[in-house]
Amino acid sequence: MTQNLAQAESTDILEPRSRRTHRFFKDLLRTQSAKLGAAICLVLVLMAVFAPLIAPYDPINMGAGQALTPPNLAHWFGTDELGRDLFSRIVYGSRLTLQVGAIAVGISMTAGVLIGLVAGYAGGWIEAILMRMVDVLFSFTETLIALAAVAVLGPSLTNAMIAVGISSIPFYARITYGAVLVEKNKEYFKAAQAVGARHQRLIFRHILPNILSPIIVVATLGVSIAVLSASALSFLGLGAQPPSPEWGATLAAGRDYFKRAPWITTFPGLAIAITVLGFNLLGDGLREALDPQQRR
Amino acid sequence: MTQYIFKRILGGLFTIWVTTVAVTLLIHLVPGDPVQIMFAQSQSTTPEQLEQIRQQLGLDRPIYEQYFLYMGRILQGDFGTTIRGNQPVLELLLVRLPNTLLLAASSLLVTMVVGVSAGFFAAYKRDTWIDTGLMTGAILGISIPSFWLGLMLMYVFSIRLGWLPVSGTDLKNLILPALTLGLANAAAVSRLTRSSMIDVFSQDFMRTARAKGLAETVVLSRHAFRNGMINVVNMLGLQFTYMMGGAIVVENVFAWNGIGRLAIQSIFQRDYPTIQGFILIFATVVVTVSILLDILYAWIDPRIKYS
Amino acid sequence: MALLTVRNLNTQFHTAAGSVSAVNGVSFQVDSGETVGIVGESGSGKSVTVLSLTQLLPNPPGEVSAGEAIFDQRDLLKLSDNEMRKIRGNRIAMIFQDPMTSLNPVLTIERQMTEALQLHLKMTAKEARDRAIDLLDRVGIPSAAQRIKNHPHQFSGGMRQRVMIAMGLACDPQLLIADEPTTALDVTIQAQIVELVKELRQKNNMAIIWITHDLSLLAGIADRILVMYAGQIVESAPLHPLYENPRHPYTLGLLQSLPRLDEARRTRLNPVKGLPPDLLNYPTGCPFAPRCPFVIEQCYEEDPPLESVGDGHQAACWVQPRGDEVLAEFRQAENSNR
Repeated sequence: MTQNLAQAESTDILEPRSRRTHRFFKDLLRTQSAKLGAAICLVLVLMAVFAPLIAPYDPINMGAGQALTPPNLAHWFGTDELGRDLFSRIVYGSRLTLQVGAIAVGISMTAGVLIGLVAGYAGGWIEAILMRMVDVLFSFTETLIALAAVAVLGPSLTNAMIAVGISSIPFYARITYGAVLVEKNKEYFKAAQAVGARHQRLIFRHILPNILSPIIVVATLGVSIAVLSASALSFLGLGAQPPSPEWGATLAAGRDYFKRAPWITTFPGLAIAITVLGFNLLGDGLREALDPQQRR
Repeated sequence: MTQYIFKRILGGLFTIWVTTVAVTLLIHLVPGDPVQIMFAQSQSTTPEQLEQIRQQLGLDRPIYEQYFLYMGRILQGDFGTTIRGNQPVLELLLVRLPNTLLLAASSLLVTMVVGVSAGFFAAYKRDTWIDTGLMTGAILGISIPSFWLGLMLMYVFSIRLGWLPVSGTDLKNLILPALTLGLANAAAVSRLTRSSMIDVFSQDFMRTARAKGLAETVVLSRHAFRNGMINVVNMLGLQFTYMMGGAIVVENVFAWNGIGRLAIQSIFQRDYPTIQGFILIFATVVVTVSILLDILYAWIDPRIKYS
Repeated sequence: MALLTVRNLNTQFHTAAGSVSAVNGVSFQVDSGETVGIVGESGSGKSVTVLSLTQLLPNPPGEVSAGEAIFDQRDLLKLSDNEMRKIRGNRIAMIFQDPMTSLNPVLTIERQMTEALQLHLKMTAKEARDRAIDLLDRVGIPSAAQRIKNHPHQFSGGMRQRVMIAMGLACDPQLLIADEPTTALDVTIQAQIVELVKELRQKNNMAIIWITHDLSLLAGIADRILVMYAGQIVESAPLHPLYENPRHPYTLGLLQSLPRLDEARRTRLNPVKGLPPDLLNYPTGCPFAPRCPFVIEQCYEEDPPLESVGDGHQAACWVQPRGDEVLAEFRQAENSNR
């Protein structure tokens, strides 16, 4: 038994952590697309952190220039209906986007992973009830869950983040649950169980570290989904409210001036698309680096 | 097979039952007084009127009693009335539901035609520039928000070129929304189709088919395509659900008069009876169509059909 | 009379790591009605050889780079796709290793059996169906008329391989290529399939190329055996000379590793030690030299040609050990060990 245990852990012992980390990043950045994804995410983070230094104008107060100016040298992305500099708004908007991604994914991942872990580990009626509920939620679609949550909480960006977070819980629960079932049948786990490890230790020391890879991949892709969903809610007027520089809300505000000033809708949409693309590419790269079997 | 269908229907009924419980609870989860929130936008309402509404909705009774009251009304086809205008909710929803179904179905058609052919072609031309190009397009497609894609299509085809109307309820108006929603989901389907077809192309039975001397077109259509489609058809139910979800957003971009547009309006107005009705109808439709598509799937895949 | 004459067949795989010669100057002949066994470890190029002949090798990465394969006065390797398709499944049929995956899971047996008949013999659906039922009957599928409507997953592994054989025989081929047809089956079923093919061979007077890694299997069916190693034929002989007096150390090793039926312990006593060469870094000299117990200096310098060592018996070895003596000694030692 203990020999099995040693064997299961031996792969970890063979290679020093630093080398493993190095190899992981090498694998991750092996493809051009993963590099592009990582670069996009990095630019986004830098933009959010240094927004005040990058943005040439105030994102919310008026008076940056004339209303509805097309893109030019002074206003790269033009100005909106109130004369605010669109580029500055988008730069500041990146902060909200990252916040949405972090909070929404944080909520759905924490709750989903917990449900999946408990259901998969406990088995029996706990598993039956939890996963049945997850199935039900899953068949409602994320959009419906998010809408119901906003209907309860009322429209605001914070509520939209929470709503989007809740809407993705079933997704994480399913991924985790599936991964737990796989781990539970492996030798190392049965060995640990046989030597009488406690539940807590079994769950957090044995299962969780082994299922982290798929969860990390899903979380990265989940940022994309969260950003898309939250911007959609804001676009519908159920998320960020004016004068917030949130991209979906900015885009929605530009709809009234669509004919005269298409840049107001074009640039925030482009910003969302590029951000989502970045996390998608990074997520695909992570999947390949962490799970070589899935390579195509 | 019958057992499988029976199980799916039972599961569907359970889902709908959970939905009824959820919508009853919905109103209670609202922070603060839901009745006051509902009428916050109209100043002229008196406390007596509020109390009357409260009674009407049964909010003054214990929650289990509310549930049975609500269920009793639902089963008689009474979904309540809108907060403003006192219109029957069910009628409002049912008038708009065909529009949403039409949009979702035509989008699904676009998704399948575009997604499957792109994925099939990419797999067949695997690791060529055609494959790379199509899959680059797919990852871009997955990343583009549907509402933005809709607005951009609208800008090009309606505003610039003037080929199609900006909004309305003719069939001509269906083209852009269906294209928007369809293309937005085609990207994911094309990725799925590609990986599924690549899998099939490497299977032994493909070699057997070629060893019989069959023409390549026959090998591809009869032997490869049907196998590759099993995975894709298996996802059809989920895809339809995505279409219904996506329709809520796209209807609002194009002012397409479906239940999604009504839902967003009622969330704005905090019109809870309508929101409840919408969730119930939406869930019922999604569950029913999913079951129908699953039966279709079982019919296509003989391994399920006979087990 | 020669049905198929293969001369100097060369097949390469172009991979990211470089080009690899999977088949390296293979020449052999199959007479009509004759059964030729090809034996070798996995990766020895035996499957690639027959896939090359029928143009079924996926290209890329595979490519036939030289050689000819004369079948009925025409070079198979130079046929257009269209001409090749008229021969495949019609005059040359193939059955493959894994009956579980070689049949299409979503089509009925009827569909999969009749399509070749309708294509090559221009039968109507009804005629094709009747013939298919007759064929299934002949390969021993009970109540074939009902079973023909079933899907592959409703058959057991052995039954599926019978279906594969029936499919292969559909158009009365002159040559049947069986690529490890029994490897995925258990021993009793293996024997049944071999018996079945023997029986059908007699009735149809068809030639067979039977590929396997199991030399003992060929004893009951092959007229002649080709031993392949690292993409080359290293020994070619009629059945009995090969078993009784092999002249290549690799064949000798294969024979010594066979489990003996007369022994109490049916264990593999003496598998050929070592691994076949990495085809990416093909060694100079004889490819078997690093594993060979008879190795001499010359083996590392020059690759031995396939030379005649007796009546219809060829071996590619500088040493050409007397296999009969080595085997006798080996068996004696084995017996005294007990």
